[in-house]
Amino acid sequence: AQPGRTRKEKEPFEIDFLAPLSAEVQVAMGTMATSNAQISLPRREWRSRSRNLLPDDRHFNSKDLLKLFLKPKAWLGSRKAAKVVQVDGELDEAYWATAGAASADAA
Amino acid sequence: RAICTIFVDTQKSTAGHRKAVISLRKIQEACCYEPANYKTGREGEDFDEDDFNAEIVRCVLRIVPVRKAEPVGDRVVRFLGTFLNIASNKDSEIANHADPDASSVPETPTSRLTTRILETLLPLLSAKEKTIRFRATQITSHIINSLDTIDDNLFHKLRLALLKRIHDKEAPVRLQAVYGLGRLAAEVEDGNEQDESDSDAEVGAGVLAKLLNTLQHDPSAEVRRNLLLNLPLSKEVLPYLLERARDADASTRRALYARLLPALGDFRYLSLTHREKLLRWGLRDRDENVRKATARLFRERWIEDCAAKPAEELEDGPQEEQPKVSNQAADPSLDALLELLERIDVVNSGGEGGIAQIAMKEFWEGRPDYVEYVSFPDTFWEDLTPELAFVVRSFNDFCRSSGKEDGYDGPRMLDGMLADKLPEVTMFGFLLEREIAKLLETVQAAAEGEDGDAEEMCVQREFVVEQMLHMALTFDYSDEVGRRKMFALMREALAHADLPEEATRLVVEVLRLVCGVDAKGEREFCGVVVEAIAEVHDILGEEEEVAEDSTSVDDSFHSATEHHIDDGAVQGKRSKKKRTVTRETAEADEGKALREIVVNMKCLHIALCMLQNVQCELEENASLVTMLNNLVVPAVRSQEAPLRERGLCCLGLCCLLGKNLAEENLTLFLHCFAKGHPALQTIALQIIADILITHPSLLAEPPIDPNTTTATEQPPMENMLQKQVLKAFSRSLKSDDHAVQSTGATAVAKTMLSRLITDKDLLKQLVIAYFDPDTAGNAHLRQSLSYFLPVYCHSRPENAARMAGIATGVIGKLATLREAMLDEAEADSGGEGAEGEMVKLSVVGTMLVDWTDPRKIVGFAEAAVEVGAGETHFLLAEAVFDRLNTSQVGKEERKVLFGMLGKLHLPPGGCDAERIKAVLTGLAEASDVASDQTSRNTLAKMQVNLLKMIREAVTAEREVED
Repeated sequence: AQPGRTRKEKEPFEIDFLAPLSAEVQVAMGTMATSNAQISLPRREWRSRSRNLLPDDRHFNSKDLLKLFLKPKAWLGSRKAAKVVQVDGELDEAYWATAGAASADAA
Repeated sequence: RAICTIFVDTQKSTAGHRKAVISLRKIQEACCYEPANYKTGREGEDFDEDDFNAEIVRCVLRIVPVRKAEPVGDRVVRFLGTFLNIASNKDSEIANHADPDASSVPETPTSRLTTRILETLLPLLSAKEKTIRFRATQITSHIINSLDTIDDNLFHKLRLALLKRIHDKEAPVRLQAVYGLGRLAAEVEDGNEQDESDSDAEVGAGVLAKLLNTLQHDPSAEVRRNLLLNLPLSKEVLPYLLERARDADASTRRALYARLLPALGDFRYLSLTHREKLLRWGLRDRDENVRKATARLFRERWIEDCAAKPAEELEDGPQEEQPKVSNQAADPSLDALLELLERIDVVNSGGEGGIAQIAMKEFWEGRPDYVEYVSFPDTFWEDLTPELAFVVRSFNDFCRSSGKEDGYDGPRMLDGMLADKLPEVTMFGFLLEREIAKLLETVQAAAEGEDGDAEEMCVQREFVVEQMLHMALTFDYSDEVGRRKMFALMREALAHADLPEEATRLVVEVLRLVCGVDAKGEREFCGVVVEAIAEVHDILGEEEEVAEDSTSVDDSFHSATEHHIDDGAVQGKRSKKKRTVTRETAEADEGKALREIVVNMKCLHIALCMLQNVQCELEENASLVTMLNNLVVPAVRSQEAPLRERGLCCLGLCCLLGKNLAEENLTLFLHCFAKGHPALQTIALQIIADILITHPSLLAEPPIDPNTTTATEQPPMENMLQKQVLKAFSRSLKSDDHAVQSTGATAVAKTMLSRLITDKDLLKQLVIAYFDPDTAGNAHLRQSLSYFLPVYCHSRPENAARMAGIATGVIGKLATLREAMLDEAEADSGGEGAEGEMVKLSVVGTMLVDWTDPRKIVGFAEAAVEVGAGETHFLLAEAVFDRLNTSQVGKEERKVLFGMLGKLHLPPGGCDAERIKAVLTGLAEASDVASDQTSRNTLAKMQVNLLKMIREAVTAEREVED
């Protein structure tokens, strides 16, 4: 039903260049904004504090949480952790759910 | 009329536009030029130019009310632009034909038509209806961009009107305004060079300044992006354009890398800082498409710039018009590659974590022609520059790592290529030996020398050696001859006190590798390194022998326990001497002391590098124990801050290797944290966290000893320890120092994820630190917590329950913080702009609800109705009611709390009947404080839901009883 409905809505629109402008449109074209402020952004939005720039990226990597501060090359926990770390991408909560269990068992 | 039919046709597709332009032009010519000139004057006989123009304007006005989303409108606008463009060209051809010497732009039928259209649209630019404003602005800007010249008078009016529109409420209108103005700004820019009137130039500068302002501040990314691609590329504008490399919007950033920069011409005209920043930002962007675009820019454009025109030619004629860069890549050229690397300052950007590494990885990946082309014959190694060294190193890295990402570990084509192209290990050893010798030579020259270049030479030689050591770290040492060569070379290099630190670190790592990974290899490794440390330290002794007159510092190395006594003796002697000896000897003493520090620092550094690469039990390794006692312990006790800090790091690493040592020294590190300056505090925090994680049993509750009955009076040691650790972590989160604060947060995150620490207060402080406006400048802290907090909660139900337990406390605290901040801001600046500095309380509420959402907890879906996993939002509900009922809650906070209640997910069977009853009791009580309709509705809905649940629970119980 979904595609059928969207197709119906897409009735091709055409500009009728021959017809005179409708009264509505004429009124709309005749109506000017009473002040420039009415159709402008509020003034405080003219400036953005951040200049729309990203903050300094620290490239936080979730795998850092698996490393020791002092021995960045030694992985916490098991060999399994070391394997996970080889894989690209961030670690998700599912990883921690199992990793936590492993380390607790070890302790 | 014919004009109408043409317009009707053009809206359907752009395909027929060419034909339509021709027919419309025919009509125009028929109307506007003397029929005598044209044989086909049939259609236009009855109409003149005025009629023609009026009809066009009439048609244009039909477009104005068309909604923005309709593509037909855009098509007609495009057609109009094309027509005006072609028509005006034909007009001027005709005009030129008539009067080839005319210098000023003559008025033509099309220019009159244009003026008429634009003047009609001008008032519509400030219509109240947004659609009309949009179309009017769109047509105006499009016409401006289609034509070369516009009537002066009109030009000024348009400029003013469009300038007003760059602050329009509607982003699409701003977009169009900016599009038109970009052209105007460029126009005046050109005018400048032709020395037109000053006022014009000023006006143009005004437009440009306004546009640059928009480029930085417009809230709509699309507006910024359009502007980025449409501004004139001039020196003044460039910094503003390049700044967009950090735009908050990913497609804007990509537009810069994929479209603007390739169009910019030779990259070598950019400053070195710009090149480096652009590469760094682009290749490490969080958006993959930006990274890809940057990689392509680097390996397809920048290299071609270098290949197309060698540096010398560039120096000759920088103003020269660049030949159009052909799309076909030039033949691979080592010179071009070397220049490219030089242009990105590889000595500085090619270090560890430097951007040149990623850039070259992408380069090799995307340029198989270069992979094929490079070769490293003997001549290549003869005069190794940093650039050459980096080529071979990055090539080696690429060949060894590519294809391994997919877990494929078999033989690869690139392995064979590597074997063919690179020298074998033994040969490489000799080459490396030569480079290390060169390096040591330059280091000595620089140390002695007044020669200013020596320093620079040093950096270069160091870089070359580092690259080769990195390569050595990837080699296969199964060939015994090669292994021995490297072992001997590394062992010898390590004993040179002059070997720079980074090279030393790498040498230690290579040594670890060639010793073999097993325990035997590790023992050999430790022995060899400790020997080398002793050799370095002996330098002091040798110097001592030359200048006989002081106490032997060497002793302090061999007997750490006596170090203090020795130290005292030295000072005693010195102070006695000081009165008698000449100033010269005093200076000599000072120099000696300094030398001592330098050598000891070097020894500690080697020790540090070694300790990072071992994992044996400390007490079982005699050489490590010797090193600990003779080198590390004295350093920790030293009066010199740098020695002490490095000593502490070594001690910390030793603690990781021995639980007993860790237990003994944990208090020392806690003490360092309590009393030290920020740098020391950071080190201490790192050590403490590492120790706890390596030896989790240190924090474990001790088994209750049945023999001690006084356990309650005397808390066991470990408990005390836990308390102290928590206190230190808690203090770190409140530190003013960013590094201390973020290290503390990371330490807590690690220990919490491994469930060593489960303290609720600490968790609460962590959450508060995350939202605290004071930490806004601490990106490190914020970014790591924004990863940690959801992951922590969603990984285990008990974590989420803990978060539910502290949620209301957090909200309460933040409400106070926020109020205080707003008050302060109001006092400071009349309240303006204070909003942006702290997140709204409602946002905090939403996040807390999300973190504790039972549906997001891992395993929730599988463990269908297990009490515990589904319980978290019941707990949160209970806590929220508790807060509402027992405390005086401010208006904003109350609203947020009710808002949270509305978003809870309370699965049936998520908890037992007791808890549901407790929540219901709280709910009933809270109806007193529900002051508005929304809150009351929330409560009512929740009540119905809970009552249903309790009925079901009771029925279920009965069934069980039956």
